[in-house]
Amino acid sequence: MESSLVDVLEALLFVADAPASAQSLASVLGLTEGQVEQGMEMLGSRLQEKGSLEMVSIAGGYQLCTKREYAEVVANFLKPQRNRLSRALLEVLAIVAYRQPMTTQEIDLVRGVASDYSVRALVERRLVKEVGRKSSPGRPVLYGTTQQFLHQFNMKDLNDLPPVQTSEAKASEIVEETL
Amino acid sequence: MAKDRALAKANAISVLGVVAPPPIHVASPHFEGSLASLFLCVKERRIDLRDVPLLPICASYFEYLLASPKINLEEAAAALTALAYMIERKASSILPRWEEPEAPPDEQLELPEPTIHEFDLAIEALEQWQQERAAKFFRAPGGGPDAYEVPYSLSDVSLPDLARAFERLLARAAPEPIESLAKPRRSLAEGMQAVLLALTEEPRTLEELLLPPYTRSEAVWWFLALLELIRLGRVSVSLEGDEPTFARAN
Repeated sequence: MESSLVDVLEALLFVADAPASAQSLASVLGLTEGQVEQGMEMLGSRLQEKGSLEMVSIAGGYQLCTKREYAEVVANFLKPQRNRLSRALLEVLAIVAYRQPMTTQEIDLVRGVASDYSVRALVERRLVKEVGRKSSPGRPVLYGTTQQFLHQFNMKDLNDLPPVQTSEAKASEIVEETL
Repeated sequence: MAKDRALAKANAISVLGVVAPPPIHVASPHFEGSLASLFLCVKERRIDLRDVPLLPICASYFEYLLASPKINLEEAAAALTALAYMIERKASSILPRWEEPEAPPDEQLELPEPTIHEFDLAIEALEQWQQERAAKFFRAPGGGPDAYEVPYSLSDVSLPDLARAFERLLARAAPEPIESLAKPRRSLAEGMQAVLLALTEEPRTLEELLLPPYTRSEAVWWFLALLELIRLGRVSVSLEGDEPTFARAN
C-alpha cells in the first residue's frame, strides 16, 4: 500500500510543472497531509538511491528535478538562457525578502541609492510583486517576494533565509538588555 | 501751500500724520505724558501696555469730546486711531500664548546611513543558491497539453507532409484577379462546408479534392478549413506513398 502511494505521488510529481503542495496532493488523494509527507520522504529516499531524478521540497511544495550530476548534459540539451542576477538586483531582492512588505523609498533608504530600476527589473522577472499599498501620503506601492523567488533560489520558504543582524534587531537587543 | 506748511508745523509732534491727537495727559505709575507720546512709545515697543490702564484714557477722551465746545474732527479721529491701536495691542498682549512645537526635521534632509552591509550575508547566500539552483532542471511550466484541446489524429501524416501538400496546392494556384477593396470576406464555416462537400469516404489527395481554377487566397481559405475539420475529427488523414490523403471521418 505504501509502495503504491509512493508510486502515485511520483506520477503526480512527474506531470506537475510547478511545486505541488502537500495540501493539494492530500486533497486529490483523499489522504492527510501527514500521510503525503511520509510518502514524499519515502519517494525522496527511493529516488536518491537510483535514477536521474530527485525529489526536492521547494517553493512551498514538492517537485521532481534532475540530479546535479546530470546538470551538464541536460544543460547541453536544453541550452537554457542563463540570466544571473547582478549585485544590485540581489541587494534589492535581499532587502525585500527580509523586510517585506516595503516601498521603493524604504529600499532606497537602506541602500542609499535609488532602486526604481532594480525593483522594476525584479518585477519583470517575477521575483518581486506588488502586495498592496502603504497607508501613508501618496499610498506608495508595497513590494514583496514571490513563489518564483523561492523557486529560483532553491528555497522551501522564507524561513530558509539566513539570520541577518539588522539595525532593528540590534536595537531591540539593546532595549532588552537595558530592561 | 503755505497754509498746509503752517498746519504741519503746528502739529509737528503728531505720530499719526500731520494731525496730532488732542492734548490728553496720561498719568500712571509706569507712564506719564501726552497721549501722542504714549502712542509713540507703544508703537516703538518701549513700554509694556499691560502696565498702563487704557480705560481712564478712553474715558478722558470722551470727556474731552463732550467738553469741547467746537469739536475738531481731525484731532478726534487721530485720538481714536491711537486709542484703537493701543487697545488692539494690549488685547493681543494679554491673550494666552502657546509655544508652537518645533517641526520635526525633514527626513529627506537627514538621510540615515545606508545599512545595506547588514544584508551581505544574505546576498552571499542568494548568490550561492542561485548557482546551486542552476544545476537543477525542472519540467518547464506550461509545457503540457492543453486540457481543453480535443485531441486529433494525424495518423502517420506529419506536419511537413501537410505543408508540402499545401505548397503543391499553392503552386497550381492562379494569380489573384484584381478586385475591389471591399470584396466579400468568406468565413471559415463556409470553407468547411465546401471542403465537406468535396470530401468522400474514399481517401483522396489535395489535388483531387480541389480542382483548378482557384486562386492562392482560395487555396489558403480551403486548406485552413480542411485543417479545422481535421482538428474537429471530421476528416481522417492517411499517407499513401509520400502523399497525404483525406477522407470523411466515420
